[in-house]
Amino acid sequence: MSERRARSARCRAGAAMVLAGALCAAPRAFADNLELAVKATYLYKLAPFVSWPANAYAGPNAPLTICVQGADPFGPMLERATSGQAVGGHPLEVRRLARLDANSGCHIAYVAGGAAQSQAQALSAVEGAPVLTVTDEGRGGPAKGIVNLLIEAGKVRFSIDAGQADRNGVAISSKLLALAVTVKR
Amino acid sequence: MSRRDPSLSDGRLADRRLVNVAWAGVAALLAIGVLLAARSELDDRSRATRAAEVQADILAASVSAALSFDDRAAMREYLGALQVNRAVAAAAVYDARGQAVVVFHRPDAPSPPARAPAPGARFVERHVAVTRGVAEQGARLGAVYLETRPESWASILGRHSNLGVMTILAFLLLGVVTAAASQLQHRARLLSAANARLLEEMAARGEAEEALRQSQKMEALGQLTGGIAHDFNNLLQVVHGAFELIRRRPDDTDKVAAWSENGIAAAERGASLTRQLLAFSRSQKLELRPFVVADLIAEMHDLLVRTLGPDIVLAVALDETRAAVMSDRTQLELAVLNLAINARDAMPDGGRLTISTTIRAIGPGDPVLEPGDYVDLSVADTGDGMAPEVIERAFDPFFTTKGVGKGTGLGLSQVYGVARQAGGVARIASTPGGGTVVSLLLRHSTATAEAGAEPDESLPILAPEGGHTVLVVDDEDAVRTLACETLKLLGYRVLEADSGAAALEVLATACPDLMLFDYAMPAMNGAELARVARLRCPGVPIVFASGYADTDQVEAAVGGEATILRKPFNMETLARTVSTLLRDAGKAGT
Repeated sequence: MSERRARSARCRAGAAMVLAGALCAAPRAFADNLELAVKATYLYKLAPFVSWPANAYAGPNAPLTICVQGADPFGPMLERATSGQAVGGHPLEVRRLARLDANSGCHIAYVAGGAAQSQAQALSAVEGAPVLTVTDEGRGGPAKGIVNLLIEAGKVRFSIDAGQADRNGVAISSKLLALAVTVKR
Repeated sequence: MSRRDPSLSDGRLADRRLVNVAWAGVAALLAIGVLLAARSELDDRSRATRAAEVQADILAASVSAALSFDDRAAMREYLGALQVNRAVAAAAVYDARGQAVVVFHRPDAPSPPARAPAPGARFVERHVAVTRGVAEQGARLGAVYLETRPESWASILGRHSNLGVMTILAFLLLGVVTAAASQLQHRARLLSAANARLLEEMAARGEAEEALRQSQKMEALGQLTGGIAHDFNNLLQVVHGAFELIRRRPDDTDKVAAWSENGIAAAERGASLTRQLLAFSRSQKLELRPFVVADLIAEMHDLLVRTLGPDIVLAVALDETRAAVMSDRTQLELAVLNLAINARDAMPDGGRLTISTTIRAIGPGDPVLEPGDYVDLSVADTGDGMAPEVIERAFDPFFTTKGVGKGTGLGLSQVYGVARQAGGVARIASTPGGGTVVSLLLRHSTATAEAGAEPDESLPILAPEGGHTVLVVDDEDAVRTLACETLKLLGYRVLEADSGAAALEVLATACPDLMLFDYAMPAMNGAELARVARLRCPGVPIVFASGYADTDQVEAAVGGEATILRKPFNMETLARTVSTLLRDAGKAGT
C-alpha cells in the first residue's frame, strides 16, 4: 500500500511537469489516468483559496462537499486524493450526483454533464448559489464553470470566471486568480 | 637630616588617587560602552531576524497558491522578486513533503538545504536563516526558506564605530591624565628632594654659624689677652705691693688700712675683669632676652678701658630711659668689643672713642627697618675713617683691611649679624680722615628687662640680734676658712664641713638657718648635696658659690630658684646675700 502510494506520488509529481509521460514512460491510458489524478487533486486544492458565505456550511465542523455531476471520470482517485484532508476545519466529503441544483449542498461541483442533466443545465441550476463550479475543457461539453480546467504547454492549468464567482457569492483569492491562465471579469 | 615635607607626600598620594579615579572612570566608561554595544548588537540581530521573518512570511503567503498547484514559473517569479532585495542571499520553496521545489541563491552564497529545515529563525555567523511553513486555511502546503547575506565586518565595525571612538578617546584621556600625574609626581619628588637638601644645608649652616660665633669670640679674646695680661700684672703688682708694705710695717695702723684698701680695690678690679672674660667665653647657644643696653655698656666700662689702652679716651653717653632690646647679651658685648678693637686699631696714635645710646623713632619709608622705636647704640672714633668702597664691603665676612694675622674680617660681620638678630640694622658713617661712626639700630623691646639679682643694699650687713647659724661647706680649706671668718665677724654662728658627707653628718644633728655650698666638690657636688639637704631641712635657703664659667650649667643642676654667689666674692657681697636670703625666708630679726 505504502509502496503504491509512493510510486503514485512520484508519478504525480512527474506528471505535473511533463504530462506527456516521458519521465514515467507510461502507456497512453496511464497518462490519461495521471491527468485525471492531477485534476482530482486540483478539485480539493482549490478549496483553501475560495471563501463561501457563512451559511454555506451547516456548522463549524460541517464537511466541505465536493460533488461530481454526471459522468464521473475520476472513480476512486478522488476519494484517494481527498481522504483525510480538511480545509479550514471542514473535512472533505465527495458526493456523486446525476442532477445538480441549488439545494444539493455542494461547495465545489465538478460539472461533467450526463444523461439526466446536461452540463449547461447543471451550471444554470446552481446559478447564484454559493457553489464553485468546475468544468473540464474537452469533457462533457463547451460550457464553462467558474473554474475551467485546461491543458496548456503540457500542464494542467485553469481559467477563472470571476464575474460568475461574484454572482454565485463565492470569493476567490487573488493568489488563485494570479495563477489563472485567464480571468474573466 | 632627611626629613620629608608631609604636604609633598600628601600631594603625591592625591595625584595617585586622581590617576586611579581616572582609570576607574575609563573602565566604567568602557564597560558601559561594551554593554551598550552588546545590547545594540542584539537589537540589530533581532531587527535583522525580524526583517528576514517578514520577508519569509510574505514569500510564504504569496507562494501558497503556486505551490499548491505546482506552478513553478509563478514560484520562480516570487523568488525573483525577492532577489531585488540585496540582503537576501538565498531562498527556496519546499513542497508538503519537504522536497525543494524552487531554489535561488546568489553566486557567492551557498545553495539552500535540499530538504526543508525545521520552521523557525536562526542567527548563525552574521546571517539569518528563516524557515516558514506555507499553509492556506489550515492546509499545510509546504515551506519557504530564506537566508540573508552575512553582514560584512566593515558594516559591523561601522555600526560599532562609536564604541571604538569612545574607547580611543577614553584611552587618550587616560594617557593625558596619567602623563600629567606622573609629571606632577616627578616634580613633587624633585621638590621634596630640594626641600630635604635645603633643610640639610640649613642645618649645616646653623652649625657653621655656631662655630663661627665661637671662633669670633675666641678671636676677640685673643686680641684682648695681651692687654688683659698686662693689666693683671699691674693689679697683681698693686696687691703684691700692698701686702709687702703691710708685712714690713704692720704696726702703722693707719697706713695698713690705706694699703689694704688699695689691695682690695685692685683685687676687685681683677675680679671684675675675670667675671667679664668668663661670661664672655661661655659657649652657649644664642639666647634672645630683653635687657637694657645702657646697663651692658656701663658694665663693660673697665673691659673697654683696658681694651683701648691708655692713649685712647673713652667717653660714654647713655640715655636715661633704660630702653631694653631683645638680643643675645654676650653677642652684643662681643659686638661692642669688636667695635672698640676696630676703633683702637684705627687710632694708633691715640684719640677719643665715644659710645652713646639714644632712642630713635624710625618712621615709615626706611628701606630696611620697620617703623617704630629703636635704640641707637653708636660707637664713634676719631680715627682715619674709611673710604666709600671700604664702607660698602665693611660688613662682608672675611673682608679686612688689617694685615695678615691681625684680623679675620669677621668682626664687623658679627656686629651686623647681632643688629639684624635684634630686629635692627648696623650702619656706618665715615669719611677718610674724619673718623667713623658705627650705629647699631636695635629694635626697642617692650618686654621688661631682666635685672640682675642684686643684693638689697639697704639692708644692714651685720647679723641681727640673737644671730643665725650658717653651715659653710667647701673642700678648699682657704676659701672655707675665709668665708667662715667673714661670717663670724658679721656675727653669725658658723658650722663648717669640708665635704658633702661631713655636711650631712652636721645636718643629722641640727638644721642651720642658711647653708652655703661650694658647687664644685669631689665625690658629692653642691647640687647633689643640696638635694639631700633639702629633704633633711626643708625651707632652709641654700647659697651656691661657684667659680665656674657656665652659670647655666649650675642653674640647671641646682634648680632655677637657686641663689648663686660667683667666686671670687667680697665680704660685703657675701654679707648682703646672706642677710637678704634670711630676710626673705622670714628669719631676719624684727
